[in-house]
Amino acid sequence: MTAVTGESALQGNGVLGQPLDIREDPQLLRGEATYVADIDLPDTAHMAILGSPVAHARIVSIETKAAQELPGVLKVATAADFTDVMPLPCIWIPGGVESHFPPHPYGLPGARPVLTGDRVRHVGDPIAVVVAETPRQAAAALAAIAVEYEPLPVVTRADEALAEGAPQLHEAVPGNLNAYWTCGDKDRTDAAIAEAEVTVELDLVNQRTINSPIEPRGAVGDFDATTGEYTLYASTQGPHNHRFLLAALVLGIPFNKLRVIAPTVGGSFGTKGYLYPDMALVLLLSKALGRPVKWVDTRTGLMNSTVQGRDHRQHVTLAGTRDGRITAVRATSHANLGAYPSTIGPGVATALMGRSISGMYDIDAAFCEVYAAFTNTVPLGAQRGSGRAEAAFLMERLVDRYAFEIGMDPAAVRRKNLVPKEKFPYDNGLGWTYDSGDYQLNFDKAIELSGYADMPARKAQARARGKRLGVGIASYVAICGVGPSTRMSKEGMLGGTWESANIRVHPTGEVTVTVGSASTGQSHATVFAQVAADELGIDPAQVQVLEGDTQKAPYGQGTYGSRSYSMAAPAVALTARKLKAKLVKAGAVFLGVPEDKVVYAGGGVHEEGNEENAKTFAELAMAMWYGWGLPPEIEPALDETTHFDPPDFNYPFGTHVAVVEIDELTGETEVVAYTAVDDAGNIGNPKIVHGQIEGSIVHGLGQALMEAAEYDEDGLLISSDLSHYALPRAADVPFFALDKTTTPSPHNPLGAKGAGEIATVPPAAAVVNAVVDALSDLGVRHIDMPLTPEKVWRRLRGEAQ
Amino acid sequence: MDLSLNVNGRPEQFSAPPNELLVERLRDGLGLTGTKVGCDTGQCGTCVVRLDGRSVKSCLVLTAAAAGARVTTIEGVTTRGGELTGLQEALREEHGTQCGFCTPGMVMALGELVDNTADREAPTEPEIREWLTGNLCRCTGYHSVVRGVQRACSAARAGEPAAEAAAAPGQEV
Repeated sequence: MTAVTGESALQGNGVLGQPLDIREDPQLLRGEATYVADIDLPDTAHMAILGSPVAHARIVSIETKAAQELPGVLKVATAADFTDVMPLPCIWIPGGVESHFPPHPYGLPGARPVLTGDRVRHVGDPIAVVVAETPRQAAAALAAIAVEYEPLPVVTRADEALAEGAPQLHEAVPGNLNAYWTCGDKDRTDAAIAEAEVTVELDLVNQRTINSPIEPRGAVGDFDATTGEYTLYASTQGPHNHRFLLAALVLGIPFNKLRVIAPTVGGSFGTKGYLYPDMALVLLLSKALGRPVKWVDTRTGLMNSTVQGRDHRQHVTLAGTRDGRITAVRATSHANLGAYPSTIGPGVATALMGRSISGMYDIDAAFCEVYAAFTNTVPLGAQRGSGRAEAAFLMERLVDRYAFEIGMDPAAVRRKNLVPKEKFPYDNGLGWTYDSGDYQLNFDKAIELSGYADMPARKAQARARGKRLGVGIASYVAICGVGPSTRMSKEGMLGGTWESANIRVHPTGEVTVTVGSASTGQSHATVFAQVAADELGIDPAQVQVLEGDTQKAPYGQGTYGSRSYSMAAPAVALTARKLKAKLVKAGAVFLGVPEDKVVYAGGGVHEEGNEENAKTFAELAMAMWYGWGLPPEIEPALDETTHFDPPDFNYPFGTHVAVVEIDELTGETEVVAYTAVDDAGNIGNPKIVHGQIEGSIVHGLGQALMEAAEYDEDGLLISSDLSHYALPRAADVPFFALDKTTTPSPHNPLGAKGAGEIATVPPAAAVVNAVVDALSDLGVRHIDMPLTPEKVWRRLRGEAQ
Repeated sequence: MDLSLNVNGRPEQFSAPPNELLVERLRDGLGLTGTKVGCDTGQCGTCVVRLDGRSVKSCLVLTAAAAGARVTTIEGVTTRGGELTGLQEALREEHGTQCGFCTPGMVMALGELVDNTADREAPTEPEIREWLTGNLCRCTGYHSVVRGVQRACSAARAGEPAAEAAAAPGQEV
């Protein structure tokens, strides 16, 4: 493990922390970036996937002959063609890494095959594939495949799947229960609740949502018969991780025979880190046909196959004193994993959610239990803010409910219970130890900036206009920087979760940084160049950043959970420090002075007290490349790598305040003001983070106001395209008031904390709190998301939930 | 059927099936992959191009219906690696892009709004947001895009180069 000093990097040439222009932008603005769908290898054939039209059925027969005879069709394949391919593994199993050994997916309960042969378990479950000369021919041939289904009973809700007599999805998983998982102290929590002066309870539905990156997924497989090597181009946020999963766990091919390339990726928000059948299929079919095979999903296909998010049904309880001191929180959650365990879905539904439920508060007793169940829905996975958003929602709803019960201002209740500054590092009693924070400062800044004190007057003004104004606060702590590999193994994660970086200084003084992580829109090329340039004291324009190709980049897990800047960037910084140390040693030789008289500054070295005796960065680069005159203990060239495995996670946090107005006549909820003060530690490029915060908030508002994956009683996904699944549009949101506090994390050398998705965590709670505030005089104590106009209109008319 | 289009100032003649969509012709037939496909239902706006100057979703237009028209795609807005237009530059300054998949469609749609600004009042924030409702973005939350358009519109009012200005040689704008 790499030693961490906690020393801030903000002592280099000052380019880190600056809002430099984003070097990726011009190419994107000119439409010149290459996404998977734009890859056009010579002689490519096109694949289409037949997904099940029914949610649960036994497959009686599959007839493919007619499809095989259609024009342009090269191959039709079913499960029978892939009997030697292992099922897609789940690598995050709640309960600890012991449950993984032996680390082999065969026998893993519920693991999904690349194609299903005997039984379908959700709409979209892949049954067959067609490869044809053109995409249209492939798609047309799907219609000619005749499948006979014998329907089975359907269940789409986790709580119902666990009930007696529910339809069973997997023979190896009795009662559909994938995991019963707990954290915290049950006895202590139960006792605190039993003895409490005040208790409040809520039944919450955290509805299933669809992440909807604007680019659907895609994959191109290219097998080289001469070398026996496979290349996969895929819309992935973790090319190295996909290589590991595919080569070692699914295809059983030598690791060094598979290369995975992530081209430009059009957004992910968690979904593109998962292993999907198509990734294996394009490789297998390319080998079978001797041609590159390409598959690009449709939007409807995405909605029926790419992992979905959230989906908890919860009963939650908070206990406290009459004067506003929270003494305990308890949550029982039924989590819907969908039809199969996705790559890391079970971990998202348990640890990422459960260990976060106490939020920013110093609570003596806390306990969370999760029943994670299989149902006839699309597998569950991560979604921007995954787990943390579900946790913040339940806690922040409870705090408001409690404040109402004891007649105290919700802001005052929160402030009274914040973890005090002097208590860090703070063990939250649920498994996380918060690294650093000044929650009071952050909270006060948000309350002040939002104009909270003026809300009573604004409510009265709104009423005069026929509107009900409500204000809602939500605070959060988000675990980021996944992670310390040993700690993650205890959570049940199979695989090292460290990141690495290589820096190579070329003889002419230009620098190439390669990282294992891979951007899905987070402007890595810009910010990693800033990190390297800052440490080395050179111009960022000299620094090139490469990533996304397993043949070129050092290992790394990839981009998820807001980890690149607090995992990969520290690896870059530490590598630059290794280079500097080497240059100081070599500088002693070149300058002819003892090592302790060598000063590294501005990219070069000079003799202490004698700036005339100096070598520039370019001179050093060339001299090191020649390697002439170096003593044996100094290797020639400048090429270093660091593997960064942090001592612990990092914990960004923040407070958001939503102000909504509800139209009395239509029930429409408009977000009229939104304030967010987030703390992501030291920030590399504020321009990048600012954009991510804004986008994240809109994503969270989407869940509050309009987004829902709706399944009918037969398990059909009704909201299976963008006409039926609402995403926020530009006119749905106002400009936001943003600010930040800065508490560096001691767990990495940049003092960084996660940033990319953290602002998705609180908005749903803030908006629902605001709407309940606006309707509280009508007796409304809770209202389930999404807050559609009809739902709110009914509550305005006094109808029950 | 035999058809012709003027694409980015170049005459194109080809034979296309009657049910071919304009976006298929542009991407698969002409290799102009800057225009993206993000949905099946005309909702996302990643495929917006300019058809005789007006922004349209090219997944909702049959190639045959566009026959004889002047089509401008993102490739026709700037030369490869060349200078950005005023709108693109403004979006760059405001970082109005993250993953970039929605960006070409937005540039094409917003280009029409900015072009029309030179001789009238600059659009208000609600007007810009309304204009943008045909384009979905999941990364930015739209704010940086709206700020970029505000910046581009004030530049356009001040007589700086407009959005479609750096067109390919021979193209009428």
